[in-house]
Amino acid sequence: MAENGEEKLIAVARHIAKTLGHTNTMTDDILKIFSNFDGRLREKLTEKLSEDGVEQILNNLDRQISRYISSDNPIWSNAADAAAFLGSVDQLIAAVRDWTPLADDKNISSCLDRAEDLLQQSMFRLEDEFRTLVERGAESFDLTLSESTHPHPDYSDYDDDDNGFADEDENFIPVAQQITDYDIVIDALPAGTIGDLHAIAKRMVAAGYVKECRHAYSACRREFLDESFSRLGLQKLSIDDVHRMQWTQLEDEIEKWIKAVNVALRILFPSERRLCDRIFLGFSSAADLSFMEVCRGSTIQLLNFADAVAIGSRAPERLFKVLDVYETLRDLMPEFELNFSDQYCLLLRNEAMTIWKRLGEAVRGIFMELENLIRRDPAKAAVPGGGLHPITRYVMNYLRAACRSRRTLEQVFEESVDYRKGDDQALSSSSSLAVQMAWIMELLESNLEAKSKIYRDSALCSVFMMNNGKYIIQKVKDNELGTLLGEDWIKKHTAKVRQYHVNYQRSSWSKVLGVLKVDINSSSPSGASKSLKEKLKLFNSYFEEIYKTQSSWVIFDDQLRDELRSSVSGSLSPAYRNFVASLQTVPDFGKNADRYIRYSVDDVEARINELFQGTSGGKR
Amino acid sequence: MPATDYQESSSSPSSFGFSILSRRRDQVHSMESTHDATGQETELEAFQRQVAERFQDLAAADSHELLSIPWIRKLLDAFLCCQEEFKIIVMNNKSKLNKPPMDRHISDFFERSVKALDVCNAIRDGIEQIRQWEKQLEIVLCALGNQRSIGEGQFRRAKKALVDLAIAMLDEKDSNTTLAHRNRSFGRHNAQKEQRSFGHFRSLSWSVSRSWSAARQLQAISSNLVAPRGNEIMSTNGLNVAVFTMNYVLLFVMWALVAAIPCQDRGLQTHFYMTRQFLWAVPILSLHERILEEAKKRDRRNSCGLLKEIHDIEKCARHMNELTDSIHFPLTEEKEREVKQRIEEVRRVYDAIKDGLDPLERQVREVFHRIVRSRTDGLDSISRANSHD
Repeated sequence: MAENGEEKLIAVARHIAKTLGHTNTMTDDILKIFSNFDGRLREKLTEKLSEDGVEQILNNLDRQISRYISSDNPIWSNAADAAAFLGSVDQLIAAVRDWTPLADDKNISSCLDRAEDLLQQSMFRLEDEFRTLVERGAESFDLTLSESTHPHPDYSDYDDDDNGFADEDENFIPVAQQITDYDIVIDALPAGTIGDLHAIAKRMVAAGYVKECRHAYSACRREFLDESFSRLGLQKLSIDDVHRMQWTQLEDEIEKWIKAVNVALRILFPSERRLCDRIFLGFSSAADLSFMEVCRGSTIQLLNFADAVAIGSRAPERLFKVLDVYETLRDLMPEFELNFSDQYCLLLRNEAMTIWKRLGEAVRGIFMELENLIRRDPAKAAVPGGGLHPITRYVMNYLRAACRSRRTLEQVFEESVDYRKGDDQALSSSSSLAVQMAWIMELLESNLEAKSKIYRDSALCSVFMMNNGKYIIQKVKDNELGTLLGEDWIKKHTAKVRQYHVNYQRSSWSKVLGVLKVDINSSSPSGASKSLKEKLKLFNSYFEEIYKTQSSWVIFDDQLRDELRSSVSGSLSPAYRNFVASLQTVPDFGKNADRYIRYSVDDVEARINELFQGTSGGKR
Repeated sequence: MPATDYQESSSSPSSFGFSILSRRRDQVHSMESTHDATGQETELEAFQRQVAERFQDLAAADSHELLSIPWIRKLLDAFLCCQEEFKIIVMNNKSKLNKPPMDRHISDFFERSVKALDVCNAIRDGIEQIRQWEKQLEIVLCALGNQRSIGEGQFRRAKKALVDLAIAMLDEKDSNTTLAHRNRSFGRHNAQKEQRSFGHFRSLSWSVSRSWSAARQLQAISSNLVAPRGNEIMSTNGLNVAVFTMNYVLLFVMWALVAAIPCQDRGLQTHFYMTRQFLWAVPILSLHERILEEAKKRDRRNSCGLLKEIHDIEKCARHMNELTDSIHFPLTEEKEREVKQRIEEVRRVYDAIKDGLDPLERQVREVFHRIVRSRTDGLDSISRANSHD
């Protein structure tokens, strides 16, 4: 840079001298004054700027440069040649710069024309050399799903004198290793090549050919990225493709995408950024523009897929994979900000954010679809025996599984989300997620209640509600879902189950118990005997009936089943015992009592213990 | 011509859909009507009228404006307005859209919307393609635009950029044929790299696979799109006319975009259901015809996009090529003047593209987002408006 400044200064000094000096002697005087002013000027200014001098400089440069331009061999196959060529180009650029302000002089002007012509030819050649170097380096790079390249051997050892076009493959041996660690630093091109490219880029920029340089660069690197992504198994899928894909296939694509987008943002793009920065060192807007041109297409392709997932079906089964995509983007947001921090990439950053938010919407949409599913589940098919309904099982297991991703879901359901605050979110039970969960539970309960009304027997109705209610509570307790819904909710619902228990007791057994009520102040002995006989008959038929029906009913939970049985026998046994005892005391009845008593107290208890085992043996 | 068409149709009683609605309105007025029923029909009629007005306005463009970037932007604006109005109609009628036959119609519309999304993405790619051409023009301007005197070197530089431009534009058109070997490089060691360089312009262009086809996508959007029959219009109170209208508008806008902007497998043979029943059908179909006419013109038949600015690029590139081919050094004053003239032409074309492409791309993106938004919101609100049996 200092060198350039000095040359500029010389040129200006000469120019001033020439313009101000009306005669040659005046010019000489002025030059003398300048020379006396500073020692450095003295030397330079004593060279007479004659047309001969200019032409001689030009002829020298022409000779030097044309030698290289006309050769078919790549100049950069030999480092000495490359250096010499660049040196000549530098001089040419300097000459053009020096002579341009003096172009009014006709002779200088014609030399300037030739120089510019020569410069253009040099630039064309440099562009070709540049392109060749970029493409060569990209050939041997391999990065697949199950392989990773080792951080390659120290390229500072790479000998520039070596034939740069020798087989470089031995330095890029793919090793069979899972990419688990994204901390791999990959140098996309050997350091020597990068140095060469930078040297060429510098000259092209200086000569005003930065556009050509950038185009050559981005075309090649774009192709490289494209290649990398297809090696990662990433297909170019349209939104329609994704929309119509089978779910299992889409799951696979999502897996591939997650790996690819991580590799892209943590390895490939930073690597490209470093490459741009090094090749266009000192020309930051060229570096920024090149980076954007290189990465734009791939980024759009990656984001398009995530978008397609977000726009796709809201089937509840998709929740977990959609959450995966959401979380992946969320975790990569800092990388997006980092990689695409310059002005040209603003659009890409915004796109990423928009699509991430859309994925959040998709998750909320999936829950809405779940709500619809529950609401629409017909209250038609009654589960035989009042057992557990499939929808209860489905919803509860679904919610339990969903709540394993509680933190992410909290984020999704909060209105304003700042992904950076993830860990510090105050997770209260009045959070949007908690409200959503409570709402789904309410929908489930309403649906179950509607289903329970299908049973004409209100006792079965209660058993159904008990079963499903108990299952719900079990699944809620001891996990995130319970924390979300809160202790109060659990208490309330436990009480509900208990209430159903009471309802069951009442609707099944109150009439039986009523029959067994012993009237101490009986009327006449004969009347007592008769009514007792009636009562016994009634009891037998009621009990028979109940036993027949309710032994095929189901209580899936062991504890609940035992509770029910013991509460039934707890109220029935003593009543029956009393009743039987009082039967014995009745005068003419007592002796023949055995004829009418079908069930002993033990029998009753035994039968009660066979209730609720269901047709398949009961255990759920 | 479009203006006359409009006048013709309005004087004829054949605005079937419109008159059906007005007959219905008369019926409604003749009996005790709820405010809602009248309100709905007015809303639907208003929608028809507004769509018609917007497309009449677009159809009034002369041949210079048609398919220019500003016109396309107007088209997209019109689409967004129609979309917004339709969204409101969906909101206001969600309980009806939940039941047959409207449920089928509306879900069909949302399915077509998804296909339109891919067209938007392809158009975005196409705009990026045009940007690449803009860059070549920039080099031409740089080479010949502001030199004190233009030497052979600058011409060679401009020529190279023009050759690259031609190849890039050719790549678009003949993406399935092998291209002639070009030898623009000065060193022959690049020969084996040529084949690979061709791929630069092609494979990198599209964010979709090679098998994706704009023509097929448009065909899918237009398949089975037929005007609703009179009895169904009556039974849905004209709601299915609104859905049909929005479908048609969507189809036309996507078709026009594909016509204008380069994309993979551009085909304009899409079947448009011919109808004069509706007020908006006349301007839309007249635009359709005009665009097809443009496509058939000799100098546009092989173009990669009917965008006016693309034509301008082709023209100024051709002029520039002719000029550079006829250049002998030293330049006469006359030739210098000609060069300045041609360069001004290039500059005009370049400026128009530079100023126009970014806002156009943003707008296409906006269209994409709004289609997604209105589909999501529409589906959600309809599924929530549950008919409690």
